[in-house]
Amino acid sequence: MLIGMDVGGTNTDIAMVDHEVTSVKVPNTLGVRQVLGRIRRPGRLAVSTSTPLNRVLAGPPMKVQTILIPGPGLSWPGSIRGAVNHRGEVVESIDLEEVDVALAVRGDVLAIAGKFSVRNPSLEQEVAARALHYYTAEKIAVSHHLGTLNFPARVATTRLNAQLMETVTLLTKEIGAEYRDFFFFKGDAGLIPPDHAVRNPSVLYRSSAAAVALGAFYLSGIAECLVVDVGGTTTDLVPLSGGRPVMETIVSENERTVTTAVAAQSIPYGGDSLIEERLCPTRVGNAIAFGGERPTLTDALNVTGCGIGDAMASRKITPLIAFEALEEYYSLVSQAVAMHGARRLVGTGYLAPFLVPEIARRTGTSVTIPPHWDCANAVGVAISRVSLTLHARFDSGRGCVVFNGEPQELRKMGDEEAVLDRCKEEVQQRALAAGADPRDVEDVQVLFFHSYDVIRGTYRSARIADVVVQIAPGITAEAP
Amino acid sequence: MRTALVFHQRYLLHEQSRDHPERRERLSYTIDQVREEGLFDHPLILNLTPTEAPWDAAARVHIPEYLCFLEEASKRGGFIDFDTSVPTGLLSSALLAAGGAIRAADAVISGEAVNAFALVRPPGHHARQGTGAGFCYLNNIAIMTRHVQEKGMRRVMILDWDAHHGDGTQQIFYEDPSVLFTSIHQWPFYPGSGSVDEIGSGEGEGFTANMPVPAGTGDESYHFLFDSVIAPLAREFSPDLIAISAGQDNHFTDPLTGLALTARGYAELMKKAVDLAETLCGGRLVAVLEGGYSVEGGLPYTNLGIIAAMAGLDLSNIREPEAYQGWLVRAKDPSAHAKVREHAAALRANLSPYWSCFE
Repeated sequence: MLIGMDVGGTNTDIAMVDHEVTSVKVPNTLGVRQVLGRIRRPGRLAVSTSTPLNRVLAGPPMKVQTILIPGPGLSWPGSIRGAVNHRGEVVESIDLEEVDVALAVRGDVLAIAGKFSVRNPSLEQEVAARALHYYTAEKIAVSHHLGTLNFPARVATTRLNAQLMETVTLLTKEIGAEYRDFFFFKGDAGLIPPDHAVRNPSVLYRSSAAAVALGAFYLSGIAECLVVDVGGTTTDLVPLSGGRPVMETIVSENERTVTTAVAAQSIPYGGDSLIEERLCPTRVGNAIAFGGERPTLTDALNVTGCGIGDAMASRKITPLIAFEALEEYYSLVSQAVAMHGARRLVGTGYLAPFLVPEIARRTGTSVTIPPHWDCANAVGVAISRVSLTLHARFDSGRGCVVFNGEPQELRKMGDEEAVLDRCKEEVQQRALAAGADPRDVEDVQVLFFHSYDVIRGTYRSARIADVVVQIAPGITAEAP
Repeated sequence: MRTALVFHQRYLLHEQSRDHPERRERLSYTIDQVREEGLFDHPLILNLTPTEAPWDAAARVHIPEYLCFLEEASKRGGFIDFDTSVPTGLLSSALLAAGGAIRAADAVISGEAVNAFALVRPPGHHARQGTGAGFCYLNNIAIMTRHVQEKGMRRVMILDWDAHHGDGTQQIFYEDPSVLFTSIHQWPFYPGSGSVDEIGSGEGEGFTANMPVPAGTGDESYHFLFDSVIAPLAREFSPDLIAISAGQDNHFTDPLTGLALTARGYAELMKKAVDLAETLCGGRLVAVLEGGYSVEGGLPYTNLGIIAAMAGLDLSNIREPEAYQGWLVRAKDPSAHAKVREHAAALRANLSPYWSCFE
C-alpha cells in the first residue's frame, strides 16, 4: 500500500493506492496525529508539506542571523575570519572570540555558510558548535550539506533553511511518532528520508504543485499538457513536458538558491474565494454549501445550477453576482492559461469538473478530467519514488572523498570508471538504506563528471574527480 | 550585461601530455573558484558557450600550409617543438579556443556585453603565421583581432601582459599600423624577443611597444608602466577596441616565471584597462587567457580578480590567503623597479618620433 498525504491550506488530502485508489480529506484543525490516525493502515507513507512551510515564510518575519566565512575573493558583509580554499584545505583559521562577538547579536535563527565548505565543512562546524551556546540545534542551518559549489546560492538557501528547520523538525517528530518510517515529498517530485529534509528543508518548497503534476500524469497518462489544479484558495497552473514538470531554480529574498522545484503559477482564486459583491482573493472559511457563513466561488457555481454540497444553502447570493464572480474567475484564469500556449488541459482538484471545461472552451484547448481528480495531489505523493542527488569530490592527494559535504577517508581511488561506479553504488546504497524499492534505484544518472591529475614539480602527485550523480524523481515501480 | 564569460567544458580537457604545465588541471581550480563565487550565476555576468572558429577566420592569420600540417598532425599526433607537441584531436581544441576569443569579441561588438573574458585553452600568443610554439598552436588574439577588423573595428590595441613576450602576436602585426601591440614581459626570458628596440617595421613602425621587466618585478612597476606608457599610447592611438592577452604567469607563485604580481595587482591593472576602454572606445575590451602555471596557488585568485574588475565588483578582498605573504616577499626584487623605469625611458625615447605623448 502506497499512502500519500498532501497537507494543504485547510485540509489534508490522503490517498491510499494499491489495486485501487481510495482517498480521504481531513481538516487540518485535527492536528497531524489525528489526521494520521485516520489512515491506520500499514504501508509506505509519503508527506507533502509545502503549504505549512509557506505559512512559516508568510508569517511574522524571522530575524535570520547570518555568519559568513568567505575567505579571499568577492567581499561579503557579515563575514568573519577563516578560509577554506578550492582544494578543501583550511588556509586561514577562525577566531573564536570574533565568533562570540558575532553571535552576541542574536537573531531568531542562524545561518552559517563558508566558501568551499562543501569541500571541507570544518570551519562551518566549528562556528555551529560555538553557536549551540546561543541557539538550539534546530535553529542553526549550515551550508555544506548542500553539496554544490555556488557560495551566494548556498547562502540564500541556508538562510531559507534556517527559517524552515524548526517546523520540519517538529513535523518529523509528530509524523514519526505515528509512522516510524516515512518520506517527505520534494518540490522536484521525488521522495527523501526525513533527516535529509531536516538538513535541507528548502527542497520541500512547492511540493504541493509537484504533487499535482505527478498525480495528474499518473492518473491521465497525458505527458504534454498544462495541469489546472483548482484548490480552495488558489488555482495552480503546472506545465508538464514529457510527463515531467518543468523545473526552475527557487528564488528566496531575491537571491537564487541551489534548490530547484517545479515551475508553477499560482493564481490567488479558488473554490473558497470570498464573494463580497465581487470575487475577492481571500479565504475566510468554507463555502456556505459546506457550512460556511459567507458566500464563495463554490456557492456561485451552485447558484448557476451545479449541485455541490448543500446547494440550496448557496442561494444567499443573487444570480447576477454569481455570474459576475464566475466571469471574473474564468477571465483571469483563461488569460493565464492562454499565456502558457498549451493545447491540452488536465483538470484536478475537487472543483475541476465544474470549472476547467469552461476554461478549456475559452482558451481553445482540449480538456481531460482524470479519475480521482479530487485527490490527484495525494496520489502524486503516494506513487512517487525516492530521489537522491550525490555531489562527490575525490581528492587522492588529501586522501579523502567528500559526499554531499561530508568527508570520508579515501583509501583507493582507481580510474575514472571506478570513481563513477563508486558514486553510483554510494547513491544506490543511500537510497536503499532510506527504504527505496530496489527497482527504483537501478537507473543512476551522471549529471557531471570531470577528473584530472594533480602535478607537483613534474610528478603526478594525486588525482581529483568531481562527480554529480542522481536517482531522478519519477513514479515508483511499486505503483500499480 | 556588463561582462561576458566565454567558457566551454572542453577547455578543461586539452592536454599535450598528463604532466605538461599546460594541462587539464590548469584551469580546473579557476573554474571551481568562479563557480563557488557564483559568477556563472551573477546578474552582471553573461555566460557564453563558444563554437569552433571557422577555418577562414584562422586562415586570416595563419598560412594554409601550417593549418594543413595541424590538421594532419591532429589525426595521429605530431611535434612542433619540445614545449609544444600535437596531441590527437588538437586542431578541434585549438579552433574552439580561437572560437572563444571570437565569441567574446562578438558579444562586445554586438553590445550583448560591455566587455568579455574568454577563458580558453590552449593559449595562443606564441603562435606565428607559420608555426606554433610555447604551448600555443593558433594565435587566438590575432584571429580575434582580424575578425573584429572585418566587422568594422579598424583600430585595435593589444596589451599582452603574459610573463612571456607575445612574439607570435608581435610578428603577425609587426608591419600593420592598424594594430598597436604593447607587451609587458619578463626579460631576458623565453622566447628571447621583446626588447625596447623592436618597435615595428614598414608602415607598422612605431606600432609595437615592448616593456621588458626583470625578474622580481611587482605590482608597483606594472602600474607605473600602465600609467606612463600604455595609457598615453592608447589615448593617442584611440583604438576601437582594446584586446588583452591575459597571461596570469606574472603571479608571484608561478613556477615557470620569476615575477611578483599579486591577485589584487592584476585586478587593479584590469580595472585601469577597463576604465581606459570606457574613456576611449565605449568600454569595448576583450581579454583572452594566455599562460599562467601556478595552477593552484595563483590562477584561482588572479582570474577571479580580473573578472571582478571587468564586472566592476568590489576588489577590496581580492587577495591570496594570508600564509602567502612570505612567498611574496621572497619573490619581489626591490631593485627591479629602477630597471623598469630605465627600460621605460628607453622605450619612450625609441617611440618619441612616432608619438607626440613621448616627445
